Parts: sequence; C-alpha cells; structure tokens
Amino acid sequence: MTAVVETDGLGKRYRRLWALADCTLSIPAGHVVGLVGPNGAGKTTLLSLAAGLLAPTTGTIEVLGGRPGAGPAQLARVGFLAQDAPVYAGLSVADHLRLGARLNPGWDAELARSRIERLDLDPAQKAGKLSGGQRAQLALILAVAKRPELLLLDEPVASLDPLARREFLQDLMGAVAEQDLSVVLSSHLIGDLERVCDHLIVLVGSRVQVAGPVEDLLATHHLLTGPRRDPATLPAGQQVITASHTGRQTTLLVRTSDKILDPAWTVSEVGLEDLALAYMRQAGPGRRNHHHLEVQK
Amino acid sequence: MIWLTWRQFRVQAAAAIAVLAAFGVVLAATGSHLASLYRSDGVTGCRGGGCGQLASSFLDDAGAGAYSVVYALGIAGIVLAPAVIGLFWGAPLIAREFETGTFRLAWTQTITRTRWLAAKLALPGLAAMAVTAGLSLMFGWWAAPIGQAARLATGSSFPLGMGPFSLLAFDAHGITPLGYAAFAFTLGVTAGLLLRRAIPAMAVTLAIFAAVQVVMPLGIRPHLFPPDRTTAAITSLSSLSGATHMSGGSFAFTVRNLPSQPGAWIISTGAVNASGHPVSTIPAACRHQGQSCLASHGIRVAVTYEPTSRYWAIQWTETAIYLALALALAGYCFWRLARRLS
Repeated sequence: MTAVVETDGLGKRYRRLWALADCTLSIPAGHVVGLVGPNGAGKTTLLSLAAGLLAPTTGTIEVLGGRPGAGPAQLARVGFLAQDAPVYAGLSVADHLRLGARLNPGWDAELARSRIERLDLDPAQKAGKLSGGQRAQLALILAVAKRPELLLLDEPVASLDPLARREFLQDLMGAVAEQDLSVVLSSHLIGDLERVCDHLIVLVGSRVQVAGPVEDLLATHHLLTGPRRDPATLPAGQQVITASHTGRQTTLLVRTSDKILDPAWTVSEVGLEDLALAYMRQAGPGRRNHHHLEVQK
Repeated sequence: MIWLTWRQFRVQAAAAIAVLAAFGVVLAATGSHLASLYRSDGVTGCRGGGCGQLASSFLDDAGAGAYSVVYALGIAGIVLAPAVIGLFWGAPLIAREFETGTFRLAWTQTITRTRWLAAKLALPGLAAMAVTAGLSLMFGWWAAPIGQAARLATGSSFPLGMGPFSLLAFDAHGITPLGYAAFAFTLGVTAGLLLRRAIPAMAVTLAIFAAVQVVMPLGIRPHLFPPDRTTAAITSLSSLSGATHMSGGSFAFTVRNLPSQPGAWIISTGAVNASGHPVSTIPAACRHQGQSCLASHGIRVAVTYEPTSRYWAIQWTETAIYLALALALAGYCFWRLARRLS
C-alpha cells in the first residue's frame, strides 16, 4: 500500500504553542480518507503542512513522495481546499476560472466549465456574493480542475447548511469517481464523513487513535452488553476501547478480530460515529469535553 | 500571475491615473500663464546684477495670483503621494490576503510563492514609481520658472522663493519622489507581511515612513557630501541676509544666502578668527561693543554650504539610498515567504 501522506514525528509550533506535536501517520493512496478529531487535534495544521502552506518545526512530512510545496511540480500534484473555502470576493466566478487557468499548467478548462454549468453558477457573479455552499463549490472546482493526484479538503462542509453539505459531498464524490483521485478530508462532524469516506483516521491531540479501512473497523469493533464485570478479565485478543458500568450492567466497546464466544454478552454492531467518538473519549479526560464534539447525525 | 495581480490592482491603477490626470489638468491650465508671466517680467534672458531684482518681482507677482496655492498644493501632493501609496497600495497588498485567507488559495496553485510575490511587488511597485515620477515631472515643468527665479532672487523671504534645497521643495522635485514611493510601498508590503492585518500595517507604515522622512533631510542629507566652506567679512553680512546675535559672553552669525552661490544650501554658519580657528566667545576687548569690534579683531563669518552644482549628485544619492532600502525590504519579504511562515 503506497502512501499519499507520510509523516514522522511531525510537529508545528506557533511561538510557544504546539498546534501539532510528534505526529506519525501514513495515509494510503487510492482512498477517500476521513481525518476526524475534535477541534485542536491538529487536523488543519496537518493538512496545511501537507499542502506546503506551513513548514514543519520538527519531524518530516512527505506528500506523494515529495516535499510539500517544494516547487511547481509538487504544487501541481496536490489540490487544496482550505477551511471556509477562501475566494477573492471582488473577482467573479469567471475570473476565478481564468485565475485557475493562468496559474495551473494542467488546468482542465472543459472540466471546470462543465461543473460550473452543472452547478448553475453564474460566471458573472462576484465571488463575494455567492452563498457559502456556492463558494465552497467554486473553491472545489478550482482545486479539482488543476487535475491533482491528491485532493486535501480542510473542513469542507463545516460552514454549510445540511442541504448544501449533501450537495457538496455528492459533487465531491462525482469528481472522485471521474478523476481517480486520492482524497483526504477533515471534519469534526463524523456523520458527514460516514457517507463518503472508505478509510478513517481518528486524530486526537496530534496522535492517531485509530486508523484503517471503514469496513475493517466496523467488522472488528463490537459493543458488548452484559452483567457487571471487570474489563481486565476479558480474553487476551479483546482490546477494550471504552467501558461504562451501571449497578449491575457493563457496556464495553471492544476491538477484536476474533469471534465473541462468551454467551454472557449481548453483541451488537457499532456505527462509525460511535466508534470514532469512543476513540476520542478514550484519548484522555482533557478531550472528553463535548463542547468540542459537534456531533451531527 | 501578472494577470491576477493586474486584476486585483486595476481599481487602484484607475484611481492613480485619475489623480495624475487631475494634477496634469490643473498644472497645464496654470503653467503656461506662469511661464508667460516669467517672460513678461523680463527674467528670461536677463543679464547681470539686475536679474535678482527682476526675479524677486516675478516671485511677488506670481505669489499675488493663485500660483502660490497651486505651488503649495503641488508640493504637498508630491510629498504625501509616497505615504499614500505605502498605506493604501503597500500595506494591504499581502495583509488582505492573510485577512481573507485567500493566500491559501493563491499558494496552492501551481506557482511558487517567490513568483507570486515577484508579480505582486513588480506591478504595483513599478506603478508607484511611475506615478510619483509623473507627478514630479509635471510639477517640475510647471515650477521651473519659480525655481529659476528663486535661485536668482536676492534674499526673497517669500514662500515661493524657497531654494532648490529647501526642505519640502527638494523632496518634491527631481527623482527623489520615485525613491520615496518605492521605499514606502515595500515598507507597507513588509509591514503587511509581518503583521498580517491591513490597518495595523498601515499605522506602522505611516509611523516609520514619517520618521524616516524627518531623519533623512535633517540628519542624513547634510552629510551625504562634505560641504564647501567659505568665509566673508562681517561687514558683508547684510548682503548675505545675515545677522549677528550676541548674548552673554558669546556671539553667533546667521546667514540666509550666498550671493556668490545662488540657491546654495547653507548648512552651518559659524565664525573664525584671524588664524582660521572657530570662535564663539566675544574677545574681552569687545565686551559691550558692536560687531565692528569683532571685525577689527579679524573675526570673519564662516559658512559651510552645498552648491547648486551638487544638487543632482545629492538627488541621485538620496534616491539610491531609498531604492536600496526598498530592495532590502523586498528581499526580506522573499526570504520570509520562502521560509513558509504562514
């Protein structure tokens, strides 16, 4: 499995504050990867480092085998959609396409034009007058029409209403299907990613809590409910992610590739959202604050 | 990238062209009258000692019309233009990209930050120099009769009679405005890059630029070239528009112009004794006596000055200093962006 993003001990410090510290991860190619974590986990910093907008303070990062932002060749291979989809407010939609065409040798004008038409964007409209959803779509067109191998999207739907969110993600999936792209998109809204990503990375406090193909993760995590019991007494192959107890009952989220044989347990499947939340909760008391976890069904 | 820079800059460019046009119209409407006044007052082609008188009367005539207002406004406009450019073109250039987050869009296109900055600096930077050069050229043409008369006039204290080296006149003529504009622009860009906010960057740009524009003429310009020296008899003070000041045990001279060096920039006035050493204490024998006593002790007026023949050398040197500062700031911006501190 080749990696589109590979980091080793990666860290970024702003004055005295570490936005990302000692982050080691590998993001596989050919997937739509969801990068999930609470605010402050370092998602934006990680993606900005991968896009070459930031330089690491410590450690290394390789994107598609090269140093991020190292030169025009590297820049051409990576498409980036920044948080809040920045566009030039004074420039029209058509101006933005011209901008993309002038600044990207690999620009696919036909692709850009057809997407603008399909989305019903008025080319003469000033980008500052677009709705949040339209702005995000325009920014996505800019990122996609340069024909990158890797598309990085930082919280692409965070500021969109539910309808715009769904349209944007459909639009994104359409682009992925057409272009054979690797995609990394970050969100603190797990519900959004559930629909689109086939690989999940949960990042809390710069650490990868869990990573893997969504199918595998769902197949190896189980919710066990049964009479009260000390989690330490479980068989060796079962890793407890979270445990909660009432007076007589114990509920465990366990990770195991073995079958659950103990008849005392009622075994149920776990959703991606509960799974991700469990890992965020497990990460430490400091991360238990639900104000940071805007969960969306 | 030039296209994007132009697309973002064209409103400011249109404003600049409008200002240049308005300036040009005002100067063209009044300039030919001023030139004909200069001829009819007989200053053109005059010879000998009468010239000073003719020039003075021309300056008086010009001052009586609206010319002194145009002259003052023109100088004010050229002196302020670099600051306005630094504030409104330089400071927001990169700071606005940070404020709106669009630097993330620009820097992830297939273009290096170095090229991005090069285009952003080149177009408005050259425009800034062109605008101030244009203002200075037009004003130079308009004010040429006044400048010539001011050199010829004998001790005119009239505002129009400011010599070529006088504080604001020097800043508004020749090529220095171009250097000021380049410096103010890159100063604004640098402040915007470091502060990432347009308004604070504008404030810092204004403060630093104003300070430099005070320090340069008062602290640096007089030392760019070693001044010439001359001495004169105390009895000739009146022809130098000078005076003697005596207080307590010391005395001093002031000199406002040197008839032998019309338009020269008088940098310092002092006194030397018969053996050529500087003196400022009144000799014991001359206590409570007039300046004639000082003269009888062999004391002479000593003046250091920059002759008008050095005008362009000083202009070029000062412009070069500002251009060097601008290049240094631009180089710093490139270096800082290449380190990718966003």
